[in-house]
Amino acid sequence: MQTPRTEIEQLRDRYEARLEGLPGPGQQIVGVASNTVPWEVVSAAGFTPVLLSSRRAPAPLAEPYMEEGFDGRTRAVFDHLLSGDWNFLRTVVIPRTSEQEHKLFLYLSEVARQEPARKLPQVLLFNLLHTRSPEARAYGLARTRDLLQTLGGASDERLLQTIAEGNAARNAVRSLLKLRTDRLSGADAMTLIGAFYFMDRAEYARLAGAAAKAISLRRPISGPRIMIKGSILDHPHLHRAIERHGALVAAEDDWWGSRAAGNDISTEGDPIEAIFLKYYEDAPSPRVFPAALADEWFHATVPDVHGVIFYLPPEDDVFGWDYPRQKRALNEQGIPHMMIRDDASMGDLSPQCHDQIEDFVVRLGRE
Amino acid sequence: MAEKQLQCTAAAAEHQKAWFANLRHDVFEAKKPYAIAQADMPLELFQLLGVPVVSNQWWSAIVSAKRMSPYYLDLMNKAGYHEGLCRYCSLSLASTLGNDPSKAPWGGLPKPALVAARLTCDCIQRIFAIWAETLGTEFVALDAPGAAQLPPRWWEWSRYRWRELFEEHRLDFMVAQFHPLITALERISGNRFDESRLRTLMEGVNRQEETFEEVSELICQAPNTPVRMHEQISNVMAAQWVRGSEWAISHAKAFRDEVKARVEKGIAACPGERMRLMWVGAGLWHDIDFYTAFEERFGAVFVWSMYLAFGPDGYIRYGLDDPLRALASRTVSMNEQLHNPPWANEWIVYQAKRHRIDAALVLRPLGSRSSDTGSLFIERALKQAGIPVLEVYADMVDARSWDGAAMRARVARFLETVPSRRA
Repeated sequence: MQTPRTEIEQLRDRYEARLEGLPGPGQQIVGVASNTVPWEVVSAAGFTPVLLSSRRAPAPLAEPYMEEGFDGRTRAVFDHLLSGDWNFLRTVVIPRTSEQEHKLFLYLSEVARQEPARKLPQVLLFNLLHTRSPEARAYGLARTRDLLQTLGGASDERLLQTIAEGNAARNAVRSLLKLRTDRLSGADAMTLIGAFYFMDRAEYARLAGAAAKAISLRRPISGPRIMIKGSILDHPHLHRAIERHGALVAAEDDWWGSRAAGNDISTEGDPIEAIFLKYYEDAPSPRVFPAALADEWFHATVPDVHGVIFYLPPEDDVFGWDYPRQKRALNEQGIPHMMIRDDASMGDLSPQCHDQIEDFVVRLGRE
Repeated sequence: MAEKQLQCTAAAAEHQKAWFANLRHDVFEAKKPYAIAQADMPLELFQLLGVPVVSNQWWSAIVSAKRMSPYYLDLMNKAGYHEGLCRYCSLSLASTLGNDPSKAPWGGLPKPALVAARLTCDCIQRIFAIWAETLGTEFVALDAPGAAQLPPRWWEWSRYRWRELFEEHRLDFMVAQFHPLITALERISGNRFDESRLRTLMEGVNRQEETFEEVSELICQAPNTPVRMHEQISNVMAAQWVRGSEWAISHAKAFRDEVKARVEKGIAACPGERMRLMWVGAGLWHDIDFYTAFEERFGAVFVWSMYLAFGPDGYIRYGLDDPLRALASRTVSMNEQLHNPPWANEWIVYQAKRHRIDAALVLRPLGSRSSDTGSLFIERALKQAGIPVLEVYADMVDARSWDGAAMRARVARFLETVPSRRA
């Protein structure tokens, strides 16, 4: 007889599987391109939202269309959509949360126009902006209302129900985050938190809550606590590589990890406005402006770690602009830091990079 | 440096140099304000309110043409900005970080009263924020929602049906964002915004672009191109930065008249023209001679770049009852029109056919990645239209990895394979 999978294993399975095995019975799946598409809106409209993501691999179908400057995550999504693997998707919603995502929208639309035989899913652009101005706020709220209407609409009651489901899942994420001081490794955290994007949120809340209880009984993990800052990490490889050297990755300024949950959505007032405000004010994006707001979480969290590793792989052409400013801030606070420019997405780092991490972790241990 | 064949090209260069010297004088001596802005900003508002603008891309091109880009970009890398970051939009910032007027072209950029940018790619907000902090000045940003509805053949809509072409909510939003920009410009200039004066300026822009359209038509119709591409760029862009002004309109007319006279006299830019080339992308500012390097051996003349062609199609707006909204329509989608599918590929093929293009060279600026998007769709569309394409992997401003001789040899090998229509 097969042993039942533990809650931790079930979350890992979901993270690893990502979109495999979908759709489940009766599900109408809507793919979302990143963290800023409001899960509650899609869900309230009667769909199952799932983050578009695949484990990194060569993306041959993207080659004829996408220039070298596109990041691996975007290329992989484009490749999968063109391959027909995700033909079960009813709709794809792409937010204006990065320039690459807007280009993804344009490229998919153009392929659909030029090659109708491919039968791509309907693609929608969700024009959520991230500058903190009254104009951008009003614009984003109107677009959020439009998105709900485009997807077929939903009652306030249904919206409030999905808000409650989403908040419960966020609460479960936060319970995992609390364990990152000394019980939950960074690599495990990325896996268990990442599952949040690929499954029903009520189910996630149940599994992650139980997983947090089990993890709280583990023996403490020793080692200096590290924060990763820089490019988005849709994999746990970098965490594993760092933790091999005896450090604990306790946080990352990344919506795949520490910033997946953020605060709850308010249940007061107009639910659609509350949902919009969550994604406008409390969701990381490379386009949050001004920089002082984008840096708030980083500055608030950095006192809880012993050192920071900046991850700026070769595909980065955005976060490198922030690096000198953030490095200066760390120097002023006396917080050690190092930079990794290797690409960790395919599994491991170069021996030289491992040597640098080793030196850094040893130095943190001494300090 | 290739000779300037047109008198007005020399006049445009002299005007720009004198304009910049005058600007420095006004800023340093008379304490007058000026601004630094991205090229796709509504420069009309700055002009209307009496705030001269140095365009980021123009200054970047000047720095590059003066062969200063390796020095400044190395310096920026040493300051901690890694070598994978975009260069076209940051070279001017690098020249500010250099902070040495004795080395900078024409004495360098004085401190502006504000810097302003439309937030297209994710780098721009960062580059301009660093710049504003370094200069100790204000940064006004216009956010940029993405275009979601892009009907075919945009250039057939843009003059009269621009209200339909660009999504209503995007126009509303851009107009809403203009108001804080206008307030800032009023504050620093002490002038007041006047809608009727904006309408007049916009009408002036229409006249200027109509004149450029005449030039474009002359180039299309003449047996041989009467004006080299890089001279088109010099004349067009000198006027575009101050579009709608008396000088710009008058210069556009002088340019047209000179080109027209050359056509009437049967003067060709390259008397042995046998092949008409298209350049897709921003100019190769650090090696302008590249554009004349294939004339002697192949009779291959660069005839087309986006700079002249985009003037009429991208800027003319008829129906100026609401000039701010018309201006917003000129601003909201420049990136999609020039660089991204479906609009860029469709427009460039249309332009290639109009200009009887025999082959296209497509700039692939890997050092300025966001400028590279759309390239593959453009290449594919050109090839499908029967136009041979060569990719030129190079940066528009960064000369550090440019091997001019090797690239000329590569282009020569390519041109040997291109069937000449007039062999």
